[in-house]
Formats: sequence, structure tokens, C-alpha cells
Amino acid sequence: MTTAATTATARLTARGIVYRYGGIEAVAGVDLLAPPGRITALIGPNGAGKSTLFDCLAGTVRPDAGRVLLGGRDVTRLAAHRRVRLGLARTFQQIAVFPTLSVADNVRVGAEQHRGRPDPRAAAERTARALGLFGLQDVAAEPAAEQPTGVLRLVELARALAGGPRVLLLDEPAAGLDTAQTARLVTVLRGLADRGMALLLVEHDAELVAELADSVYALADGRLVAGGPTRTVLADPRVTRAWRGAG
Amino acid sequence: MDVLLAAPADSLGLTVDLALAGLTVGCAAALSGIGLVVCHRATGVLNIAQGAQAMAVAYLLRDLVVVRHWPVWPAVACCLLLVAPALGVLLDVLVHRPLQRRGAGPAETMVAGLGVFVLLIGLVVLLWGPAPLAGAPSPLGGTPIRLPGGHTLRPDTVAQLAAILVLGLGVTAVTRWTGFGLRLRAVVDDRRLAALAGVDADRLSAAGWAFGTFTAGLVGVTLAPYLLLDPYGLPLLVMETMAVAVAARLRSIPVAVATGLGLGVAQAELTRLRPSGQLLPLVQAVQSNLFVIALLVTALLAGPHITGGSHDLAPLAARRARPGGGGPGGGGPGGGGRGGRVAGAVCLVLLLLPLGFRGNDLRSALLVPALALVLLSVVVVTGYGGQISLGQAGYAGLGALGTGLLMSGRIPGVPPLPALPALLLAVLATAPLGLLTGWPAIRRRGLALALVTFAVGTAMSRFVFQQPYATTGLTLDRPALLSGDRAFYLTELLLLGLGLLTVRALHRGRTGRALTAVRDHEAGATAAGVDVPGLKLLAFVAGAALAALGGGLMGLAGRAFDPAAFDPVRGLLWFAAVVVAGADSALGAVLVAALLTGLDAGTTAGVSAVAVGALAVAIGRLPGGLAALPARRPRATAPPLPASRLSPAGRRVRALVAARLADERRHRPSRADGGPP
Repeated sequence: MTTAATTATARLTARGIVYRYGGIEAVAGVDLLAPPGRITALIGPNGAGKSTLFDCLAGTVRPDAGRVLLGGRDVTRLAAHRRVRLGLARTFQQIAVFPTLSVADNVRVGAEQHRGRPDPRAAAERTARALGLFGLQDVAAEPAAEQPTGVLRLVELARALAGGPRVLLLDEPAAGLDTAQTARLVTVLRGLADRGMALLLVEHDAELVAELADSVYALADGRLVAGGPTRTVLADPRVTRAWRGAG
Repeated sequence: MDVLLAAPADSLGLTVDLALAGLTVGCAAALSGIGLVVCHRATGVLNIAQGAQAMAVAYLLRDLVVVRHWPVWPAVACCLLLVAPALGVLLDVLVHRPLQRRGAGPAETMVAGLGVFVLLIGLVVLLWGPAPLAGAPSPLGGTPIRLPGGHTLRPDTVAQLAAILVLGLGVTAVTRWTGFGLRLRAVVDDRRLAALAGVDADRLSAAGWAFGTFTAGLVGVTLAPYLLLDPYGLPLLVMETMAVAVAARLRSIPVAVATGLGLGVAQAELTRLRPSGQLLPLVQAVQSNLFVIALLVTALLAGPHITGGSHDLAPLAARRARPGGGGPGGGGPGGGGRGGRVAGAVCLVLLLLPLGFRGNDLRSALLVPALALVLLSVVVVTGYGGQISLGQAGYAGLGALGTGLLMSGRIPGVPPLPALPALLLAVLATAPLGLLTGWPAIRRRGLALALVTFAVGTAMSRFVFQQPYATTGLTLDRPALLSGDRAFYLTELLLLGLGLLTVRALHRGRTGRALTAVRDHEAGATAAGVDVPGLKLLAFVAGAALAALGGGLMGLAGRAFDPAAFDPVRGLLWFAAVVVAGADSALGAVLVAALLTGLDAGTTAGVSAVAVGALAVAIGRLPGGLAALPARRPRATAPPLPASRLSPAGRRVRALVAARLADERRHRPSRADGGPP
């Protein structure tokens, strides 16, 4: 199972996800599919329920109704860290790194959580590969606390990749990155998808969505208003209206 | 259960009498609740040092009246209206305001509060000695008031009730109908925003602290006549009444008053339960300790409003990743390198030195490795795992008690064991009890966790260590081989070495990195696949085992089980001492153990508490504790809150800005979906 998790591909499926906050349906019955080898984007105005849906998929919160399937396996009732170990990784909108660890150790924590016997050599290899992917070798020994935002975003992403995920959930991965870093990010994400990973990202930047995503889901008031190939959805008048409404 | 109630004929009369008697404690609890709620509303901080403030004011009053022969009423007025509020303002200016300015997290604020607690206890012990004192003055004398039906009421209970009424109504009126109250509510709502709108938040929090210490003093002065004045007992009793404020969610004065009075009366009514046989001691313990249970329950039920920030313990950590250092596990308290090696050498010398001692000096030194092990348990749970635990003294006590029970053959089915097997078995038996505090830690953090762990430790002390059924007839005699102090000290050193190795294993490699990740950022650790609940439990179980080992050694060192050695208040001192040394510094903990024991043996009682308290109070200026000093880097500090002496025009501008901000905030959806950063 563990070895399979690092190599095999998987699709992430959400069926009828409902999540309520004090009487309000923040997510009101959403179906969604993130297929392997594709980059899927989730867009929508503030308050549309994107982050809540994300939390339901990642397992940070448990939906009131609906199911989350990872490669055909129902993970709806699995704790968040168990989903990660099954190959469902995520990053946060608000950067989540470990300030008192070095950059390398931040990534290594992600590489070391496989089930079964710990294999330090394999973990070190995965760490080195993830650091190299984002050009973080030079700062590897530096404390994470002293890195600028852009670097920290890459550290977080490297940590997620070090675990060998099959599906990657990204919450605004380009926020705080400069142009060069964004370009690198785009290359890396495309490369990951080409190697069969399923990517689902929440993104505000329409240009980035148009550049990266193969397909797009548009969310408003907790419901899907459109879904399909990127160009079609971005041209949909309902979507542009909602987007403009968001300012 | 076989419960014998009083005869029904005088049942009603008895009920009323008991209720009236229970009002005394109930009133004190209600007053304590009002003080905590008001202070928290005005300052955003739970006055965790309230018990020590109450005790200090009560000691001062006794000193003025009994020793200096002041008339009672001027002395009371001086204590309550002058000294107590001045103390509050002083604490605000010297301790809490700098923390607030720096935007310090709840953990640092709590440690500073504990510092005040420990410092006051140390000062009182220095001034008036550690022995309990009798004869605290009762301002209203003892002639009871006769009520219809033959019941009597103490006059000071009437005064307390009047004080509750006046304070409760007064505070409610002030917050509802005055500009001061409006500003207060604004500050409570959002301190920054209120400051932007021109509210002088500093003045409000000074007023809050003054009121908080005033009510603390009132509680101390009203409780003291019924008890012996005791530098440890009285603060603990008052701390238990925090249950009242927690039940009121730190907001509602009526709920606090009702809970306080209700618990006081209920505790008194419980004395009617007289079960026969084995249950009796337990029920009697509940009868006199209902507030401990209430504190445990309310802290367990407490919602996020008393929880505080999520990953707020990182500032307490001394050790930062250093360039080239490759993360945690580098040598010593200074974050590895030379500082660490020096600290290690100092530790080694300090630990080997007593081997040259003899007589009483050697006997005192027996405490050092034992205490070091207890302090290491705090390092593991708080320093490495990032979980506040104020209950480690309880586990130490369980270790000592378990060793004694096993050696005395008091465990059914187990023959009397020799000392070392008994000690190891006691450690193994105590370790799983770490789940008692570890389990609540899975979903709780910050203040809520601090209160739960404190309540668990206090419950252990009240319901186990202080009960004759558990502690009579215990033998903790060392076997012939270890009866010499030097041989025993060597054994202790050996066990401390094993403890240090365990601690190191918990801070290195895969487990160490994962534990640090949990401490630094729980959600991030989960997202990396770390089993956060499992690691928290591991930290608490390991902590319980270490504390039990240390406690068992303490018992064997003294050849007796001494409940006072494991007093929850002592546990607070230990916690503060470890944080002062740098919460994640194992060597720092060993050094602190040596220093505390040395100070206690070589100086007057109280000096060690004053030292620890003063340093903990200064934690705001000393993030990371003493161990971080060599590695100190300039810290990014939050910008200070703007000063608020403004011209009228300036105030109008601020009000406009604030309105605008509030407006934007209202339109920005809060939790459901954050906007772009």
C-alpha cells in the first residue's frame, strides 16, 4: 500500500459535500472531480465556500453530508493525517511552516510520515529531491523563521511533495510569490501533472488559472455555478459576473 | 450506595443551616468570579495570580492588625483600597503592558501571570515565613445575626453578600450606561480597533487590573478568618474558585455569582451524605473539594473563548534551528555549539560535586537528580510538545505514592517489593495516567489546557495525596544497599542519565522533528502527515513517566511520602522555573533543579520562589528564557499600539478610520472563506 501510494495515480472525487456553519450552508452539495494528470482549479468570490470545501476534502473538517473518495477509497471519515499518508497532500492559504526547524527539516518532516518501517535513506532522498525541485538547496540549513514569504510558500509546497502525494490540494499557491518564483511554480506544477499527479487549486488570479488549469469549477454561495474546460468556464457570463462582483 | 440522610423532621432546618454556612465560601467564590470576569473584560487576560494576590493582601492585613496593632477598619481600608489596587496598577505597568505592546501570545502572558503568582508567594514566605499563621482578623467580629426560625447568619457573610450586590450591580451599571463602559466594551471587542478609535486602552487595562487585585484582596480578607493563613493553601483555594469565572465564560457576572453561591451551598449540603464503609473517605473528599471538580469540569467544557492562540508556545522555546545546525537536538540550551557544551560541562560538575559532600549537604543534594527528572517532564510536554501542563507535580506524587504502596504491599495481589522494582513498576503504572492530561490536550490548547491540567494535578493532590486512606502506613525505606546517601545519589545519577537519554531520543530524529512540528504549527504538522494526537499523547505519557520517576526518587530520598512536596502550587513554581530556563532545554532543567535545591538548602525559604517569579515576570523581555540568551537574535516585534492622547480632530479621523475598518471587516466573510491575504 505505501509503496503503491508513491507511484500510482489516483483521482479525488467529492460527492454531494454539505457543510453548515450555524444554520448557513457554507458548502451546499458540491460534486467535484480532480483527475490524475490534470490541474483543476476552484474559483469563486470571497465567501463562496472554497476554503471550506478544501477543508472538507483535506479532512480538517468533517462534512455534514457527502463523501470524499481518493482513488475509489472512501476517506470521508479518515483523519486528516491519515489522508495525507494515503497520498492526499495540501498547502494552506496562510503559510504553515515550522519556524524553529530548518528549511530542510521542514521538508523532511513531510518525507518521514510514511506508514510502516521508517526508512531514513529514502526519506533523505525524497527531501533532497523536493528541495531541489524548488531550488531550496542553498537555504536548506537555514532556520525557516528567517525566510521571506515567497521562500516559505515553496518550503511548504516542497514539504507536501516530499510525502509523495497522488493528489495535491493547493490553496492560493502563488500568493506572495514574485514573478520569477511564480514562473518556477507554474513549471513545477505542470511537470507534476504531466507525471500523473492530480492537482486541485484554489486561486484568485484569473491569469494564473487561465495559464495553468485544464478545467475549472466556479463556486458561488456554496454551490457550483459552472464547471468544465477552463476556457469555457472563464468565458461563462455567470462566472465573470461573480468574479467581477468579488472586486 | 448506602446513604443515610438526617431525619426528615429537621431536614428543612438543616438544609437552611447548611445553605447559610455554605454561603461564606460561596460568597468568596462569587467575589473571585466577579474580579476575574471584570479584569478579563478590561484587559483580555485571566488574572491567574489572583490567589497569590488574595493571600498577600490577607497576610498584610494580619500584619497590620495583629503585629502592628492598627485598628481593624483603617487597616482594611489601607489594604483593600490602597495597597491592592496599587499592586494591580503596578502589575499592569511593569508586567502586562509590555507584553501587550509586543503582541505576546497567551502562553507568554500566562507564564508572566504565573511569575507574579510565584513571586508573591516567595515574598510572603520571605516576610512572614512558610509556617501557617493563625489569627487573621475578621473585620466584622463574630456575633451571629439571628434569623427567623432559629437560624443564624454570620455578619461577614452579610457583608460579603452586600459587596457582591454592590460590585455586581455597580459593574453592570458602569458597563451599560457610562462612556467608560462603552469604551470598555469597545476594547474587549477589538483592542486595536478601539485604540484606533481613540480609546485609551492602557488606562482601561490599568483600571481592570486595579479592580482585579482589589477583589482578590477582598476574597483573601474574607476567607482568611476561616482558615489558617498559609502561603500555599490559601492561593490554591482561591485558584480553585476560578471554576466560577470559567463557568461564566469569563464574561457574565450574574452567571459567575450564581455559580459561586451555588457551588458554596452545594458543597455545604453535600456534608449530609454519609455513606458507610469504603466510600466514606472519597465522599468526604468531594464534600470539601467540590470546587476542584467544578474547575475540572468547567475547564473541560470551556469553549474557544478561553483557549487562546494555536501555536503560541514557540516563543517559549529557546532553541532555534541554526545555520548548519540541522534542526533540533544540537547539544545544549544555547541551541548547540559551544554554549551547549559549556552548559553540559557545568551540569556535569554540579551533579558530581555532591559526591564529595557529607551529612546534611549530601542529603539535600539527593533532591537534585529527582527534581531534575520532574522538570524534564515539563521540558518534554511543554518545551518539545508545545502543550502547557501545570499538573506534572501530580504525576510526581503518583510516582512517590505508587512506590510507597508497592513497597508496603498495599496493592492487593502484589507482595511487598524492594525499592527499585517498586519504583520502576510505579513509573510504568503512572505513565498511562499521562492520558488523563494528554487526552484533553488533543482538542484543547492555551489557557483551557492550562486549567484542565492544573485541575487534574490539584484533584490528584486533594483526592489522593492528602487522604489518609491512600497514605497511612507507607514505607519508603531504602534497601540496605542504597541506605547510604552516596550510593543512593549514584543510583539517582544513573536514572537521571537514563532520563536524559530518553528525552534526547524524543528530541532527535524523526520523532523529534515531528514533535517540533506539532509544537510549531499543528495544522501544518497534520498536513505533513504527522499523527498530531498520537504525538501529543506520547509527550504526555513520557512526561508522566519522567515525573513519576523523579517523584519516586524524591520519596525514597526522604524515606517518606510527603503530600506537601507534590502540592499543585509547587508544580506551578516548577513549570515557571523550566520556562525561565528555556522550556525546551533539557540541560537548563537540570541546572534549574540544582539551583532551586541549592537556594532552598542554602538560603531562607522563599528566595528560590522570588528568583523564579522575578525571572518569569520578566519573560516578556526574555523570550526563550535564559537558555536563549547566547543565541539571541533580534526579534521582529509587533508595532506598539499607537499612543492615544489625540487632539479632537485626530480623534475624529481615527473614528472615521475605525468605522471604515469595522465596515470592511463586516463585509469580509470571516471563517467560511478568507479573502486574499
